[in-house]
Amino acid sequence: MIAALLRPTVARLCRTSRTRLVVGAWCAVGIAFAVGARARALGHGADQVLVGGYGELVLPLLCYSLVGAALQTRSLSKSIAPLVALGAVPARAAAVGVAISFCACALVGSLLAAASTLIAHGSADPPLSHDVLASAYAGALGGAAYGSWFVFGASFGAAGLGRTLFLALDWLLDALGGAAALVTPRSHVRNLLGGLPPMEWPERWSAFALLGLTIAYALISVYRVRR
Amino acid sequence: MIALEAVTARSARIVVRDVTLARGPGVHALVGAKSDGGTLLLELIAGTLRPQAGRVQVLGGKPTDGSVRQQVAFVRVAPCLPEALRVHEVLEIASAIRGEPQTDPRPRLAALGEEDLARRPVRSLSREEIHGVALIEALTSARVRIVLLEEPLVGLDPRAEPRLESLIRRRASEGCTVVLATASVRDAGELADDQVVLRRGAMVDPSSAEAGTPSAPAGARLRIMTKDPMKLLAALAQQPEIDAVARRGAAVIARGPDAMALAQAGGRAVVASGVDVIELQIEPPLEGVRAE
Repeated sequence: MIAALLRPTVARLCRTSRTRLVVGAWCAVGIAFAVGARARALGHGADQVLVGGYGELVLPLLCYSLVGAALQTRSLSKSIAPLVALGAVPARAAAVGVAISFCACALVGSLLAAASTLIAHGSADPPLSHDVLASAYAGALGGAAYGSWFVFGASFGAAGLGRTLFLALDWLLDALGGAAALVTPRSHVRNLLGGLPPMEWPERWSAFALLGLTIAYALISVYRVRR
Repeated sequence: MIALEAVTARSARIVVRDVTLARGPGVHALVGAKSDGGTLLLELIAGTLRPQAGRVQVLGGKPTDGSVRQQVAFVRVAPCLPEALRVHEVLEIASAIRGEPQTDPRPRLAALGEEDLARRPVRSLSREEIHGVALIEALTSARVRIVLLEEPLVGLDPRAEPRLESLIRRRASEGCTVVLATASVRDAGELADDQVVLRRGAMVDPSSAEAGTPSAPAGARLRIMTKDPMKLLAALAQQPEIDAVARRGAAVIARGPDAMALAQAGGRAVVASGVDVIELQIEPPLEGVRAE
């Protein structure tokens, strides 16, 4: 049953040329930032690329595109409608769709963070192997949280417009700062990647926060479309 | 199998009020425009909409129960299928979700003459083909016991219509409950054993003036598929034994008082018009006459 529910979303991610194109484009932008840092021979090349281009721009937009591809740029309830029409329980179909979305975001986010670190690693950065692992871990947590955040967004609005609204909200709430910034992944991802922490939170707290946000938004999304 | 008790429900501007209905195996029609609430009742039975008041029971349980959902198929007039999959994969995952053994998809698709679609990606299908595949999934599933069809003949390949009718009949004879919502009195009369007429969300007596629709026509019905239906239609209209004649796609449907007279009139019309007959069906079947 679970395998049957997995197949449509996995097929959307793997078989659609538009998905490959959009995800490939954002990965190329991320790699371009890293190559640029390496060309300038920056001492903290990996740090600068991860906190700047990767964390601020590429990861959110990459996850936004991946979730769009997984949901076929529709609302969450509409994206599971074909499975519900075939007899699936809506909550179960949604749970599988949400899980695949944030897993795909975590995987691609992690790989891109590791690749960026490998390329842009500078002389003043931490040891390469440690830095690559730490970046991959931060990218995975950030990707999962963003995946869940955008799926939650897609549970609002008939045509999945909520996903776009949540992309803007992510920037807006982070810009407002304070407690408002804690409910979106952006500030926590920046903290994990070595940037400014939200409300002086230590990295460990941000890691737990990202995990919590992933689970919370996933559960709320499933709850919203349970019927 | 299906019981609605004093059900009131609303979806957008469409409202049904105080509907009480119980139906078992057979083919049942809800006749009325979409705004009269037929589709809304199907949504209630399928569990995609909750009633504001009253109770809906399907197969002895709530329509939202997982085990009930597996046995209910709801085919909308514009159904959606998982786009990134191929047609045979759709039938495979449908079987897995419904908890029935995997079978070769080709014989299932052949039920409506769509076996060539098996390897096609869903996104490459036309609307008519998607409708056909959704109908095939619903009507050939071994697990499905309740089939809900919204305008089943709309947007369907005309050549598949007779096959669909016989498929629906066969499922009903196997103990399935088939409920169709249609605005076409003719479709309801041809497909269903009984009809419920809905007007502005309430059930009305089919014979009343408010219903504005006659009950299922009596007598015999002749359906002839041909490449030149207009020519055959003109020839059939000349036959005095025929009460009514209409064209639907490549098929011409004639009605008359009895099957034998209708068959003779049909034969004369075919000879007079000189058209090639692709398929011919007569209901009720002629007794003592063997098809050659």
